[in-house]
Amino acid sequence: MRNVTLSVKGLKKRIGKREIIKGIDFELNEGEVFGFLGPNGAGKTTTIRMLVGLIKPTSGSIQICGYDVRQDFTKAMQHLGCIVENPELYPFLNGWDNLLHFARMLPDVDESRINEVVELVGLQSRIYDKVKTYSLGMRQRLGIAQAMLNRPKVLVLDEPTNGLDPAGIREMREFIRKLADEEGMSVLVSSHLLSEIQLLCDRVAIIKSGEIIQTDTVESLLTTQERLIWRVWPLEKGKEILSSFTEITVDQDNIITAFNEHETPKWNAALNEAGVKVYEMNRKLPGLEELFLQITGGGGAGIE
Amino acid sequence: MNNLIQNEMMKLLAKKRLVIIGIIVGVLVLMFTYAQYKQVKEQQEKLGTDDWRAALQQQIIDTQNRLGSNRMLDEWREQLQVSLKQQQYYLDHDINPSEPGATTFTRMFLENAIDLFIPLLVMIVASDMVSFENSQGTIKLLLTRPVNRWKILMSKYVTLLLSVSIIVAMTALLSYFLSGLVFGYHGWEAPVITGFGLNGSDVDVSQVRIVEQWRFLLMDMGLVWLVAVVVGTLSFMLSVLVRSTPAGMGIMLAALISGAILNNMVSSWESAKYFFMVNLKLTTYVSGTAPPIEGMTLLSSVITLLVWWALALIVSFTVFTRRDVY
Amino acid sequence: MSKTKVLAVTVVSVVIGLFFLFCLGWAIIDYYGKKASDIGLNETNPIEKNLPEDFTVVALGDSLTRGTGDETGKGYVGLVVEDLESKYNSKPLIHNLGINGQVSQELVQQVKQTEVKRQLHTADVILITIGGNDLFQQGQTLFDYDLTATSELQENYLENLNTIFKEINNVNDKAAILLIGLYNPFIELDEDFDTNRIVRDWNNETAEVVALYKNAIFVPTFDLFQLSVNDYLYSDKFHPNKAGYRLIADRVAPLIQWEDEK
Repeated sequence: MRNVTLSVKGLKKRIGKREIIKGIDFELNEGEVFGFLGPNGAGKTTTIRMLVGLIKPTSGSIQICGYDVRQDFTKAMQHLGCIVENPELYPFLNGWDNLLHFARMLPDVDESRINEVVELVGLQSRIYDKVKTYSLGMRQRLGIAQAMLNRPKVLVLDEPTNGLDPAGIREMREFIRKLADEEGMSVLVSSHLLSEIQLLCDRVAIIKSGEIIQTDTVESLLTTQERLIWRVWPLEKGKEILSSFTEITVDQDNIITAFNEHETPKWNAALNEAGVKVYEMNRKLPGLEELFLQITGGGGAGIE
Repeated sequence: MNNLIQNEMMKLLAKKRLVIIGIIVGVLVLMFTYAQYKQVKEQQEKLGTDDWRAALQQQIIDTQNRLGSNRMLDEWREQLQVSLKQQQYYLDHDINPSEPGATTFTRMFLENAIDLFIPLLVMIVASDMVSFENSQGTIKLLLTRPVNRWKILMSKYVTLLLSVSIIVAMTALLSYFLSGLVFGYHGWEAPVITGFGLNGSDVDVSQVRIVEQWRFLLMDMGLVWLVAVVVGTLSFMLSVLVRSTPAGMGIMLAALISGAILNNMVSSWESAKYFFMVNLKLTTYVSGTAPPIEGMTLLSSVITLLVWWALALIVSFTVFTRRDVY
Repeated sequence: MSKTKVLAVTVVSVVIGLFFLFCLGWAIIDYYGKKASDIGLNETNPIEKNLPEDFTVVALGDSLTRGTGDETGKGYVGLVVEDLESKYNSKPLIHNLGINGQVSQELVQQVKQTEVKRQLHTADVILITIGGNDLFQQGQTLFDYDLTATSELQENYLENLNTIFKEINNVNDKAAILLIGLYNPFIELDEDFDTNRIVRDWNNETAEVVALYKNAIFVPTFDLFQLSVNDYLYSDKFHPNKAGYRLIADRVAPLIQWEDEK
């Protein structure tokens, strides 16, 4: 069992009479990338802001490396790095001064550490330029450098790939994975790109209307929905045989069934016996997108 | 804390606000210097002499003639009578109330700038102090550092106090050095009369005494600084409460201008003396001009300002440390 | 942005801030503390102090000296100065100390003031208009004609006039003093010539006082306004208009001798 770095219990937020967050519980382990998904207005942003101490929860507790965010704010924050929404830095300062600014707010962060994080995000050549001359990708990198200054145990990234080009997105993804795998950081990522989450995260929490509907590893979430695609001839006979075992759907010339590791050889043997030629058997994982729509019930709400 | 103040100072300097303020002050001082120079020249031409006594005598005569007009508000008449008596007192004791020179110019400039110009300059810095972090979005980074919120606000407030000090010092130095180009850098030792007691239109001269101008100037600067700090703190509070800089500025500007207007017409509305903006002209007590509302004294004004100051600080800190940031 | 620069500005501003705090404390303590009036005021007599050696005209008196009624604001004093200027091609120095509504008693006070004395001291010519407000008191006296009251007014006035001349001679007995006589602004309203008689009498008595001082001249204006008073009066029917002032100036200017420049 790996160490728990971030634990959230019974988190609630009420604004006026409206309960926006209705009780959220989850835990982050060391070296894990955790995805946070939900449609607009589901309470994603509010939850993240409660995690980083910008919003005070009405009830519930948040612990970062064992320190309560409300009781031990400064200690908890020492183990947290974050980018909330866009990496907002001071455009009138250069990159290095921006890092210096935030380094001064942390205990025991000296200039060699600043140089280290600059190298880590590969901004050496432009670090003495004013931030207002940076591209969005560079700002994003500077934002991450800033979040890395205190060697956090927990990194909270709100939309980390927002506004990046495809190459940048890939780079970012690899970078985040590297942080989790090599540095043992826990990373909490929220993204509106579901494919991103799918590629990046170990576990996903799906949140809707202020509640977490489901938390699981990406694989297990997906495998329950895994499909097997058959291309057989003759089609009619194949349909007849397969439907005797399980539910089928037909998509043009293909037959689609659920994937069941133990049953599939049997179905295949039955087809062979009946003289149906099996040209192709193809396992297919559904997109998280489909899954998400299934789980949240579509609900008309757009996906953030 | 020192680190935090260094941070705020770094941002303040990088924003170059102080440079802009310096330029504004410089341009204004040059304009006033030129205007003053023109005025002096014209007066000399009219009188045919540069003798200040003759000029002052003529001012007294002019004031007397204005007092002779019966279409004058009682309140103005009272103020004119007070200044008339003071002018006469200066003349009788052979003291030039406006000894030419950069020192006098600086004193006059500060005395006239105390209720509007200096507060405006301070506002440029103060109203932006917190709200720019909001509009820039950097407040989110600032408040997720392992530093308590009150410390962050305190570092900002201390930086504000420091920049207010710089602004007041800069205004004084610029007006001294720029006006000195025209009027010469003298007048430090010139005598200034202080301690006029006012009682309606009566001027009590029993406690009058002479102060060297440099002392008087320093006292003026202390009072200007207090006003600047109080106005700065109020703008600071607005900067915390109203998250957009222009809105905060607008509110403060409205208050200051209404104060300038109220000063001319509140004499009958006595409770107006609890407004901070009516109490800004602290230097008038020292130089002995009639306050806008009868019964106001230096002490009452200073206390009123300090109460506003304390309330503004309490509100700022309470709101800032408790507020949710969206 | 260099760290040292930021640090330097911080340190400097801290020093400035503390200094201002000290100044503030000082200002308040000084204001309330030192109540003892240790005045080191100059009581020296500044009369002799440097006024230029130019030809100097000092004008004393009431609204006529001020020039009330003349829309150009010059009054007879301004016109006289203009005449002198064109005659001698040099501008005389002029101190116009006229105050609207001034009566003789107030003028007595005025000529006792240090600065006024100093200006009188340097004067070459002193022009005075006084008595109009004593006599007419906004026109009341003449209509509520009362012989005893008027003669009492006249007595006080003559006494004041004496004092004024003495005070002036105390500081300057070389300057020519020109006292402008009264005209009768009510001459057309008056059918039995009562006011004429009073004004004439007043002028005569004034002239008698003036005659006591050898450097003083009484300049009559009664005759100037006698025949067509309305042509020369301002719309308030009391002060002269521009033309009226011109008449007075034409009579005054030739009397002034600018000897220094000749």
